[in-house]
Amino acid sequence: MFEQYISIFQQEFINNFIKEDRWRYLTNGLLVTLKLTFFAVLLGLVIGFTIAIIRNVHDNTGKLGFLNFLCNLYLTVIRGTPVVVQLMIIYFVIFGSVRIDKALTAILAFGINSGAYQAEIFRAGIQSIPRGQMEAGRSLGFSYFQTMTKIIMPQALKNVIPTLLNEVITLLKETSVAGYIALEDLTKGGDIIRSRTYSAFMPLIAVALIYLIMVLILERIVKLIERRLSKNDKR
Amino acid sequence: MTNANESPLISVRNLEKHFGDMKVLKGITVDINKGDVVCVIGPSGSGKSTFLRCLNRLDEPTGGEIIFDGVNILDPATDIDLHRQKMGMVFQQFNLFPHMSIMKNLTIAPMTLQKKSKEEAEGYAYELLERVGLKNRALDYPLQLSGGQQQRIAIVRALCMKPEVMLFDEPTSALDPEMVGEVLEVMKELADEHMTMVVVTHEMGFAREVASRVMFLDGGDFLEENEPKEFFANPQNDRLKEFLGKVL
Ligand SMILES: Nc1ncnc2c1ncn2[C@@H]1O[C@H](COP(=O)(O)OP(=O)(O)OP(=O)(O)O)[C@@H](O)[C@H]1O
Ligand SMILES: [Mg+2]
Repeated sequence: MFEQYISIFQQEFINNFIKEDRWRYLTNGLLVTLKLTFFAVLLGLVIGFTIAIIRNVHDNTGKLGFLNFLCNLYLTVIRGTPVVVQLMIIYFVIFGSVRIDKALTAILAFGINSGAYQAEIFRAGIQSIPRGQMEAGRSLGFSYFQTMTKIIMPQALKNVIPTLLNEVITLLKETSVAGYIALEDLTKGGDIIRSRTYSAFMPLIAVALIYLIMVLILERIVKLIERRLSKNDKR
Repeated sequence: MTNANESPLISVRNLEKHFGDMKVLKGITVDINKGDVVCVIGPSGSGKSTFLRCLNRLDEPTGGEIIFDGVNILDPATDIDLHRQKMGMVFQQFNLFPHMSIMKNLTIAPMTLQKKSKEEAEGYAYELLERVGLKNRALDYPLQLSGGQQQRIAIVRALCMKPEVMLFDEPTSALDPEMVGEVLEVMKELADEHMTMVVVTHEMGFAREVASRVMFLDGGDFLEENEPKEFFANPQNDRLKEFLGKVL
């Protein structure tokens, strides 16, 4: 009885992963997922950081009113709509008539999406620094910009590293909707195997396991960094 | 100490500051001369901090003029950052930079803004640290120090820019009582060296002993000013009498 299960398992395994090198759907997909996540996080970092600075300048000086308005519009729209809808709009509507690399589209979509969330993270980080730090910097003769880069940002960035890494974890999972524009990421890879072998269990569980392992590793890194930061925090 | 031939270091003309509808400073006119140690006293909320913070435009005045070193620093065309380098400020909450060592706190402004070499900036910082008795803490971080030590460092940080005037906003109010003395002592030494100082304080003893002039701020303007002996022994204004009655 038991041996029968083992042999079914073996057959399933071979059928789903070994035959026709189907495991490649998973490894290739994983690479796509990692690439998407990595570049989208970077793009989001640039967007988020810029927006946080614009909004902070506006909050403090009242300048940049129009840019600030655009930022708020962007934040409202991006955070108020599902990422998969944003992805499809960018692919089918905005780039609908142009042939553009799917992966690039996805990086744009996820980066633009993540930027909105990272903007809020940076903003919270900047706001967590007491007013007195800006005042002390300015009173010494530093410009707003110098005070921001030398005094506020180093403290704010340190405070937001763990939250930013959590955003990476979120994004890693969110890229799983890339299949909607027929991009073969990890999830899509598992799904392709399922459609070839007509067995859902193995490929989908394998996909889930791979995500889980990556998330666990990232969480472990967050923990390590948090501990490291609090140890170095000579406060 | 006041030299009649010399124009004032800071000349405040009709200084006004409104927060919305609230008029906090209602047209203050006052001169601060080189070497003056001006103590500003007054009830809570009377605008002492606002006055002080208008002097280096941490609060933006809504009217009037402030002539510092012969330049109207309220003129939008003046580079306020440049003038702030010559006006040291010490805050109630110290506001040291917690992510930098003490030495970095002291040298970052001179090195960045005055293009001092590292050796020169550190040399001067060590000199001043020695004088406030904290030379051995140069490599520590601010939050490893006591409040009194942090405030002494904050004073040194401002002094490292070799300012022409030092502005103090209740520098001892956030300190445990046993640490007040060590900070006042440093300020007293500064006064003895004829540093020009504007000090907002509740320390009447300090004002009496160290100030060259004491000024009473209430209702949006200075209601009385005098040299300290007369000021405390023989107050004229009723509001001042009432105030001194409460705090002395
Ligand atoms: N940024 C601000 N916005 C609105 N009102 C303000 C602001 N800063 C100060 N005020 C108000 O201006 C008045 C003067 O404040 P200020 O801090 O100058 O008083 P102070 O004399 O320093 O008082 P304290 O002795 O409590 O420090 C207060 O009524 C205060 O509420
Ligand atoms: Mg005050």
